[in-house]
Formats: sequence, structure tokens, C-alpha cells
Amino acid sequence: MSDLRLDATQLDRYSRHVIMDEIGPEGQQRLLESSVLVVGAGGLGSPAIQYLAAAGIGRLGIVDDDVVERSNLQRQIVHGDDDVGRPKVESAADYVGALNPDIDVEPHETRLTADNVATLVDDYDVVLDASDNFGTRYLLNDHCVLTGTPLSHGAIYRFEGQVTTFTNERGTESDTDSPCYRCLFPEAPEPGTVPDCATTGVLGVLPGTVGCIQATEVVKYVLGKGELLEGRLLMYDAMDMTFETVDVLSNPSCPVCGDEPAIESVEDVSYEGSCEISAD
Amino acid sequence: MRVTVDVKGEETHEIDLETVSAGSPNGGAGTGGSTPTYQELLAEIDLSPHEVSVLVDGRPVPEDQPVESDHVTVLRLIKGGSKPPIDRNR
Repeated sequence: MSDLRLDATQLDRYSRHVIMDEIGPEGQQRLLESSVLVVGAGGLGSPAIQYLAAAGIGRLGIVDDDVVERSNLQRQIVHGDDDVGRPKVESAADYVGALNPDIDVEPHETRLTADNVATLVDDYDVVLDASDNFGTRYLLNDHCVLTGTPLSHGAIYRFEGQVTTFTNERGTESDTDSPCYRCLFPEAPEPGTVPDCATTGVLGVLPGTVGCIQATEVVKYVLGKGELLEGRLLMYDAMDMTFETVDVLSNPSCPVCGDEPAIESVEDVSYEGSCEISAD
Repeated sequence: MRVTVDVKGEETHEIDLETVSAGSPNGGAGTGGSTPTYQELLAEIDLSPHEVSVLVDGRPVPEDQPVESDHVTVLRLIKGGSKPPIDRNR
């Protein structure tokens, strides 16, 4: 091994990474020096947190304002029965601490808002959106577009999942006509018009698959290796056991990344209801 | 014109544009009764523009514009995460 910054314990812990040409000691060092913010410690966030921590992402932030409920345990596998009633960020942080002492885990027991999004997000290299509501999803999208922060998106419903990656590197050589979430869905649907997992149910293992794909994308992004899901939406159907990718280009009329964006700050948007641009 | 509407994860529909009623009250801007809009095309298969995105050659198109392509891709918006809905009043 040529890189002595990894100590003997780390060379052992990450040996299956280090041995690969695509990662090696340099790649592992890059993972250890990176920082990722996971927004949501629920179904998608649990597997993402586990694998990012195991991979050696050096600083791992976790945002959630919820507490563990027994009905979460069917799929939110970073929490256990003894954690019911505890803040999810505490339970998740304990899990990470037990899994990998290399990780500086930073629990943020709060709800992401327009007032705190910059404080929470801007200190991290990559954001992984594992949220469960449109307000948070649109807020993260808008802030990450405006600040050029890479964002992994995942969503689940019953037996289906969707994943994509927004590198938000517009105006750079790697800009490939990449879309953002608002390119696809300019505004959130009115509350109640799109069903959620609490009312329709969700296959317990589904967020595991989708969250692991999100973690895979983040690790690849940090390493600078492979083909990301940039400009592609991956659709997974667990019932049919099929994966399909759909090419998606940017929308020139997008209100946040289009040719004449109406959103220049998250203060321009009301992140309740349909997440539309404020009238005032 | 016959339009193929590929609803990802669901069915693919073949719709004869001449059978789609244009200029309906829910059809967005419409075209005054000539060419149906993408929104009216969606209504033929019981989809609302609030729950989907319409792509032509990979690029999202406004649902209130007249249909100009014989092949459109429809992506459904899905919500989860997997926690209960947030109580917006707390």
C-alpha cells in the first residue's frame, strides 16, 4: 500500500475497497475525507446511512425531527425495538457509532426549513434526500440547484421506486443538459391528491433497495467513478422485478434552473402545499 | 394523428388524436377546439397533470400546450419516503 494515511485498522476494515483498482487507498481516503447529509432517517435513510457509514464516509449528517414508532420497524432498519420513542437521529447516530468508529456522525434533530437549510446543507459535500414529503423535497431541490450542491433523489410507493441524481454542475464542462426535480414536476400536487405510504402501505424491503441505490450513487460521486443517474430516472418495480431508466433532459421553462428562473432564493417559495412561488 | 402514450410502470396507450375532445374546460390553455393539449390527452387515460410529467424526446413539456408529437412518455410523481405524513400544524 502506498498511502500511509490509512492506518492498519482502516486498511483491514476497508480492504475490499482498497484492493479494487477503481477505489484503492486513494479512493478510500477520499471517502473518509468526504461529508454527506442524509435528510430523513426513515425507510430510505436507514439503508443509506448504514452503507455510507460502512463505506467510510468520514462525516455523516442526519436530519430528522421524528421519533421512532413501532410501525417504522418493518422497513426502517437502522432502528430497533428498544428505540421506539427515541428521536430517530439519536437512534441512527448510535447505530453508526457502533458500526464504524471512523465516522463523525452529526445528528440534527430538526425539521428542514427555508430558514435553516443553508446552515444545515452548505457544510456538506453531497445531500441524500430520503424525505417523505414534498415540502422538504422541493426545498432541498431548490437550495441544491441554487448552491450547486449534488443531490441524490429517491422516492417509493407501494412496490415502486424512483431514483435519480442531480449533480447541479450547471455551467461547467460536465454540464450535460441536466435536469432538476422541478424540471420534471414544477410544483407539488395539492395535499391529498397523491397517496402516501401511510395510507397505501409499502413493501418493507422496497426502501432498502432504493436507499441502497442512492448510497451507491453518492459513493460513486465522491469517488468520481462510474456513470451516475444524471439525466436518467431509474424506475424499479419490485412486483415485476424490473428496472427501467428513462432519459430526462432539463426543462427550459423550469422555475429554478430554466432559462429565466423565477426562483432566485428559497425565500421566494412557500414550501407548504404545492411549493409554488410566493405571490408577494 | 395517432399518439403513443407510454406511461412508465403502467400501460402504453394508442390514442387517435381526432377522438380527443379539444378545448375542454379542464384542458388548460387549449387551442380553441383544434389540436388537443397534453392535458386533454392525459384526461383520456384518466391521469391528472398534477400527478405526472409529460416528456417528449426526454424533455418535459407544458401540459397546456397542443400535442405535437406522436410519442409521449409519462412519468408518475410518487411521494414517499415512508413515514407518516407530517402534521403541518405542529
